[in-house]
Amino acid sequence: MQASEEQLKAWMLAGLDGDAAGHACLLRTLVPMLRGFYRRRLRGAEDDVEDLVQETLISVHTKRESYDRDRPFTAWLYAIARYRLIDHYRRRKVVVPIEDVEAILVAEGFEEATSARMDVDALLSTLSPKQARAIRHTHIDGLSVSEAAVRAGIGESDVKVSVHRGLKTLAARLRGEDRR
Amino acid sequence: MNTDDLIQTLSRDVPRVSHRVLARRLAIGMVGGGIITMILVTAILGIRPDLRVAMHGFSFWMKWTYTLSLGVGAIFAVSRLARPTPVSLRWLWLLAVPVLLLAGIGIGELVDTPSRDWLAMWLGGSWKVCPWLVLTLAMPIFVGLLWSFRRMAPTRLRAAGAAAGLAAGAWAATIYCLHCPEVSAIFVLTWYSLGIVLAAAVGALIGPKLMRW
Repeated sequence: MQASEEQLKAWMLAGLDGDAAGHACLLRTLVPMLRGFYRRRLRGAEDDVEDLVQETLISVHTKRESYDRDRPFTAWLYAIARYRLIDHYRRRKVVVPIEDVEAILVAEGFEEATSARMDVDALLSTLSPKQARAIRHTHIDGLSVSEAAVRAGIGESDVKVSVHRGLKTLAARLRGEDRR
Repeated sequence: MNTDDLIQTLSRDVPRVSHRVLARRLAIGMVGGGIITMILVTAILGIRPDLRVAMHGFSFWMKWTYTLSLGVGAIFAVSRLARPTPVSLRWLWLLAVPVLLLAGIGIGELVDTPSRDWLAMWLGGSWKVCPWLVLTLAMPIFVGLLWSFRRMAPTRLRAAGAAAGLAAGAWAATIYCLHCPEVSAIFVLTWYSLGIVLAAAVGALIGPKLMRW
């Protein structure tokens, strides 16, 4: 089971105060989280996933001074993980289809928000039922786009568009609320 | 290397991190670079001989207020871009305020000056060198800021580079004021700003290469 934001942040803060054991706990707990994060995005390239997990752990360690103690830990973590992924694509000169770029960029805003322990149900209820259902299926229940399309009885492109628009709306709303 | 071994190795080196680490690193980088710029200005260009008198005048403080307000705004942007989490930079339009104020003063000057003197006022005695000097003097501060970024994690590298260049340019211009005897607002508005913008452009150009991590 994934550790909570509070637990992760507590370990991070302990590490920043010089507690090596807390830091080790944090890094160990991040491994399955990061594997999941990269697996979902790289589909099948297991070696790359493990490389990226290690590179991200190193970044979390060497860039720990860039963490702002007043902000959610997971938002910081996924910002670093996303940077590592984009850097990975850049080094491999991989061309990413535009829809995947959107998934990398937009979905992350959403992921940060959920990990900041906002109430997902309350957020989704502000969207149209179709968008909420599409997001729930593909991003929370982990269905593929085609499975979600079958389950909702709509076309695949309809699912993609609903997810994209819904996440965009949510991201805009969260940015608005989160502006400091 | 296997992931568990990696974690063990990393956990061997966990120094304490100060709560104000970002401010401290930025300050060290800025001051370090600023000292080099200061040495260049005093040793090569020379402080203007009438500095004491000028410091009681309007135009000196007009110039400093302009360059300092840009410098403070840019440093604030740098501090936001040094961290990986997304931030809104919409407040950056506030940097237009000093520019517009200076433009207002400039228009006032033009109204008070006969139009045959406008060109001389605009070009001053140093328009050919001023932007290049500001750009050159910005480089030590820019390098200092690059050092500050080494432990930081910027994710928008071009924006971070531009902000660092802007900050370096504005602070270099502030130090350059100690040498430069120009007095007119439209001179500062054109040639100082050009130097500062050039520094920001250089930062935006090379930022993505130098700030990658």
